[in-house]
Amino acid sequence: MPADDAIIALIQAGRVGEAFERLMPAYRRRVFGLAYSLLRDRGAAEDVAQEVFVKLWQVLPRYDGRAQLSTWIYAITRNTSISAMRKRRRPLSLSDPLVFEEAESRGASPSAEPSDGALWREVDALPDKQRQAVTLYYQEERTVEEVAAMMGLPVNTVKTHLHRARASLAAALAAAGREVA
Amino acid sequence: MNVDDRLRRLLGGLDAGPGFEARVMERVAGLAAAAPREDLRAQFERRRALLRRRLLREAWMSSITILGLGACGGALLWRYASEIQQFATNSGQSVDPNLLIGGTAAVVGAALWFLIRRARG
Repeated sequence: MPADDAIIALIQAGRVGEAFERLMPAYRRRVFGLAYSLLRDRGAAEDVAQEVFVKLWQVLPRYDGRAQLSTWIYAITRNTSISAMRKRRRPLSLSDPLVFEEAESRGASPSAEPSDGALWREVDALPDKQRQAVTLYYQEERTVEEVAAMMGLPVNTVKTHLHRARASLAAALAAAGREVA
Repeated sequence: MNVDDRLRRLLGGLDAGPGFEARVMERVAGLAAAAPREDLRAQFERRRALLRRRLLREAWMSSITILGLGACGGALLWRYASEIQQFATNSGQSVDPNLLIGGTAAVVGAALWFLIRRARG
């Protein structure tokens, strides 16, 4: 990734502050998306994303280039998210109130289609890996390869998760559509 | 609208809230302000450890030097014991005993004065 090359060059030149200033906008959505796909809560994901960037600021001078910058950042994000999940007591839900309200308000749904809120619920009901793959894939028009790197899974496994998730969602929405109609 | 398009519409806008980067930069600035104090403490600890190692090394070197000099002195005494004994006997007969005692006391005093000064300095 060209942005990564520039960031790595700055780190190697000892200009870590500048590297960090470039890294945050480049990775903000990806770090937030990955945290969100694991935590299913916007507030918690934002806290984790903040934590990740603070950690990155602390450890960036020690980045030695052995792993790809993105792989390294995704690993930190996954570990921080998992730690946050362990600390949380209440059950997780993608349909946290803020997101749900946002989806409902957006969803002036066409007559024969279920609302966005219903789609959120269907996404939420997917198995963990499928839900994570769908969230990451559609969040920013990513390639399957990038989603695989973010999840730390093989590309073919991610393809399978995406395929199954789409099939489940299509079936669920078709059933809901029939009910609405 | 198919599932792909609907998911794109639903998840495409997923991003951290406004002011996210400013909040991170605020936290980072707080950490950066605390960092120089940490640096000073680390620097002090490092210097103290270096000084401790240097003093320990010097103490070992001094001990080895003293032991070496003592061994050399002992060997010389052992090697030239008969000559020294003869010299002392002859000196005792030819030199005034008071002068011998005075000279010995002066040499011992000078050595002590040197050692005391070195220990203080």
